[in-house]
Amino acid sequence: MTLVARRLDHALHDRAARRLVAGGTARRRHLVLIEIALAVLGCVGGYLLWIDGARHLEVRICEQIILALGVDRISAALGDSFLVFGPGFEPVVAQMTGSCSILSSVLALAALAVIVLRERSQVIAGFAVAAVFVLAANQVRLLLSLLAGRYFAVDALVFFHDWIGAVINFAYTLIGLLIMIGMTMYDAQRAEQDHTGRHTADRPEAWARPGLGHRVPLDSDDAPKAPKVQVAAFLHRKVLPRALSARLARRRERTRVDYRVGHENAARRAAIVRDLAGKGLGVHTATLLAVATHETDTGVLDALADVVAARQWEPIASADVIALRLWARAWLMRAPAATGPAPTGPAPTGRLIAVTGAGGPAGVAVIQALRKAGDEVLALDANPDGAGLRLAAHAAVLPRADQPGYADSLLAVLAEHRPSALVCTVAEEYRALTPLTARLDEMGVRTWLPDPAAAETCLDKVAFATALHAAGVPHPATAWTAGTAGLVPGPWVVKPARGRGSRDVVLVDEPADLPHAFFTVPGAIVQTRLDGREFTADALVARDGRMLACVPRWRDETRGGISVRGTTFASPAVTEVVAATLRAVGHSGPANVQGFVGPAGEVTIVEVNPRFSGGLPLTLAAGADVVGTYVAGILDPAADLPPLEFRPGLRMARYFSEIFYTSADELVGAAR
Amino acid sequence: MTGGVASPAGRGRHRRVPEHHRRALLTHVLVLAAAFALFGVDRTLGWAATVLNVVFLLFFFRHLAFAVSAARWAERDLDAPVVGIETYTPSIAVLVACKDEELVVDGMVAAMLDLSYPPSALTVVVVDDASTDGTGAKLDAWHAANPRLRVLHRPPGAGGGKSGALNDALALVEAEIAVIFDADHQPEPSVLRRLVRHFRDPRVGAVMGRCVVRNGVESNLASTIFIDYLSGYLVNEYGRQALFELPAYGGANCAVRTDLIRALGGWNPHTVTEDTDLTLRLLLDGYRVRYDSTAVDFEEAVLSNSRFWRQRYRWARGHQKCLRDYWRPVVVSPHLSLMEKLETVLFLWVYHVPVLCGLGLILIALRAFGIGGASLLQMISLSALLFAGPFTELAVGLVLGRVSRKAVWMLVGFIPAFGMSILTATKAYLDGMWGTTYSWSKTARSGATSAPVQAPVMEAA
Repeated sequence: MTLVARRLDHALHDRAARRLVAGGTARRRHLVLIEIALAVLGCVGGYLLWIDGARHLEVRICEQIILALGVDRISAALGDSFLVFGPGFEPVVAQMTGSCSILSSVLALAALAVIVLRERSQVIAGFAVAAVFVLAANQVRLLLSLLAGRYFAVDALVFFHDWIGAVINFAYTLIGLLIMIGMTMYDAQRAEQDHTGRHTADRPEAWARPGLGHRVPLDSDDAPKAPKVQVAAFLHRKVLPRALSARLARRRERTRVDYRVGHENAARRAAIVRDLAGKGLGVHTATLLAVATHETDTGVLDALADVVAARQWEPIASADVIALRLWARAWLMRAPAATGPAPTGPAPTGRLIAVTGAGGPAGVAVIQALRKAGDEVLALDANPDGAGLRLAAHAAVLPRADQPGYADSLLAVLAEHRPSALVCTVAEEYRALTPLTARLDEMGVRTWLPDPAAAETCLDKVAFATALHAAGVPHPATAWTAGTAGLVPGPWVVKPARGRGSRDVVLVDEPADLPHAFFTVPGAIVQTRLDGREFTADALVARDGRMLACVPRWRDETRGGISVRGTTFASPAVTEVVAATLRAVGHSGPANVQGFVGPAGEVTIVEVNPRFSGGLPLTLAAGADVVGTYVAGILDPAADLPPLEFRPGLRMARYFSEIFYTSADELVGAAR
Repeated sequence: MTGGVASPAGRGRHRRVPEHHRRALLTHVLVLAAAFALFGVDRTLGWAATVLNVVFLLFFFRHLAFAVSAARWAERDLDAPVVGIETYTPSIAVLVACKDEELVVDGMVAAMLDLSYPPSALTVVVVDDASTDGTGAKLDAWHAANPRLRVLHRPPGAGGGKSGALNDALALVEAEIAVIFDADHQPEPSVLRRLVRHFRDPRVGAVMGRCVVRNGVESNLASTIFIDYLSGYLVNEYGRQALFELPAYGGANCAVRTDLIRALGGWNPHTVTEDTDLTLRLLLDGYRVRYDSTAVDFEEAVLSNSRFWRQRYRWARGHQKCLRDYWRPVVVSPHLSLMEKLETVLFLWVYHVPVLCGLGLILIALRAFGIGGASLLQMISLSALLFAGPFTELAVGLVLGRVSRKAVWMLVGFIPAFGMSILTATKAYLDGMWGTTYSWSKTARSGATSAPVQAPVMEAA
């Protein structure tokens, strides 16, 4: 053993034996005891030092109030006492004792503020307001006692001061304490839970401090709202010099965790981490430390460690940067993970896109298109056996949009997964989704929903017929009353005014059968049955009304209203009428327009579904990426979306495909 | 899956205590009468008031110290990174005792099945303690759908209350660590990993997590209890650990080494606060209890004053019994330092302090009528203990919990709660000393904030 090692051993043994250095717990205890002792000393010393001054000051203030009120026979000429002449002019000297003064209350509040609440600077304002309140309340107590002596009797003064006054004294001290506590607490915007314990701060679950609020969907009334007057924002915008404001903002950014990062998916988090660290480790230090603290995705942690390692030239701005470097060192020194073959498939975009109606053909088509593009998908449907739920990385079952609980369930699922965008493939959901757009925006879930009136016009065949006739767009003669049904030329098609998927559609050839069909079909309308070749056009309309895509296809064969065999074709006439139709209803976003091309080439529109179609795969295969373009438009509402071309003459023959899963919802076989 | 497993209770060394302490009560009265006779009523009451004031100040400064320590360090603890929870995974048995809990059992079981822990190292056993409602059927349906959930049905009259049920469940498992929850609890998925990380230290016998009220929205009382829990766990329990390393094991959301609990004879069925009892038994055997403020689970608070009264009475009754059972062993224990003995005795005294507060108020009232001599410290110490101490703890709890400012007015609701605690503790003290029969009283649930989980429906045979 070397001399140095022997000395070290000796020192360690000596310290352990003699307990020269207290353990951590004892040190904490000593620290707290010293603080409390100093607080007690401060209270006692402050009381002894200032009690005379406080008594004189309070007597002087009370005297001014009495003079202002014009009350006679009460004098404060003695300095620390009042001379009161009662109703019979009997004199009494009411001495302002130490216990009558607010000094002990104020000192106690100050001590609590300093030793308990000093971590929050707001306690300074809280203490100041509480002290002023206590002073005012004690003046009321003194005044009422003196008035009792002046107008009732000297005994009344004593009784009021000693008993009622004592209660008032207790009450105002307690209220003062509550004022100080309240002003030290967080306002609703910065708090993480409300007074009932519900989480209100929208923190990502993995990053939140554990247990700060029970996570349940909040009603819009319960969600924290921005205060009407934002003092800090006003100061920064109107009062502080720009340079100072910017400097303060930089300092705030260093210590502020940007919790929005935690809501993003892993690939996006990694990209954000690189961006944030790229500005310098001392700029968004708190957010980077939060990533190092809470992140569990190795890809994100690798990204952070790499960027920290790459910026070792930076001067150390704070101890937190040292902590980051220590973490990165340990992370990069860990055992290397086994390397395997590079994953195949599209490069991940890092985006998570939610798709409603995942059980329907349109939903499945959208999910597959998004996956092919490298997006992760959150599939949503009311049917727990919806196939699309098994095709996506994440899935959730929701109530139907017309059932209670839909909104709450949807918000809860979206709050949990935080997708970047929501694609709705069920037109009937628009009505339920439109009121939620503000909440979705707050969560960072972007949407692009059509104008509710336009969607309603599309879904209501009576309104649709009215709109198209008004706009001069060719549309079959339509009647929706029993009185006018007979005026429509035959043969006829009778169908519900609101319906989908060819449900309850009745074809009528004989006039005698028309009344029966009209009264049998719920909410029926009657239209002339068109002659010619049926087509569907998948369309995408930009927010400004430009038609970005129109991909017509012949409906060579349909089953249950879904096109199973079709062929794309190019037709300027069809494109023109489709555009006119969508203009007439005022729609934007995806739509599929159905109609007929008559024997003479005339184009007539039958209906518009304001959503993607079940035959969407043919449109995508023809080269018109309406899904990707629509998602780009959702994520960037200001984006200048390009017009989409397509390949005419492409044929589609659909076949069944299947997936297998257990009752525990585990995928089996090839679908895994 | 049938019950009837013999309870191990009684095999261990639960301390046998007399069923009543009427002689001690009589002695107190006689000593007081003798003091009146020897020193006069006024002097005796004056000295009594002085002694009480010293006790009050001692407890006030204890509360204040906890508040200061929590204000200083607890927030950073909540943010601190956890280390090694992925790699340290001893085998765990989660044990839950249920009796007539059909309103909450679905949410609880769903939360148990959602716990993040290696399935090969985790066993979940739920005990249906002779429920008379649909609890048993619901648990069977859950078991049918999720075989890794084990269900134990205890027959009526099996006895022992919660302790008996837990002891029966313990007999079925071979895990290293037992983690206990109550039927209304819904832990966060990470809770097991956070709790067991402390067992890396072989001196640690048990670990306590943090319970959070989830149904504060249901009533003002529940909201008040939510704030009370914030203060109790984020300040009081935290402070006991930070300053003395002596947090209490709380009975739910807590973990204990199974070999230790077996060696100690299981949970004590002769007490209604088996948690405090176990805390003391572990400390006296030289083990430590740890507290983890980040191991969180959510539970229901009671909704009515009568239920609140019954719950707090049970706590007071059991805790006071623990003082009577354990203060002597604590004082002579070789495993505790002088400071730790002092804190442990003060902890055991906690439910006697409201009784003393009641006495203090009586002395103040007598003094107002001219009976009793003046105390050296007057009523400032009682005010400090009754209001300044608790409100300071509550304030720190609210700030640490980042509760919105609106909650500050809920603190007013604590003033009648303090009054009620004086009454419950006094009644519990007198009943305990007199030896009134008392057994486990189940806390009623609301179930309104249980997660809306549909239990699997069991097919008819």
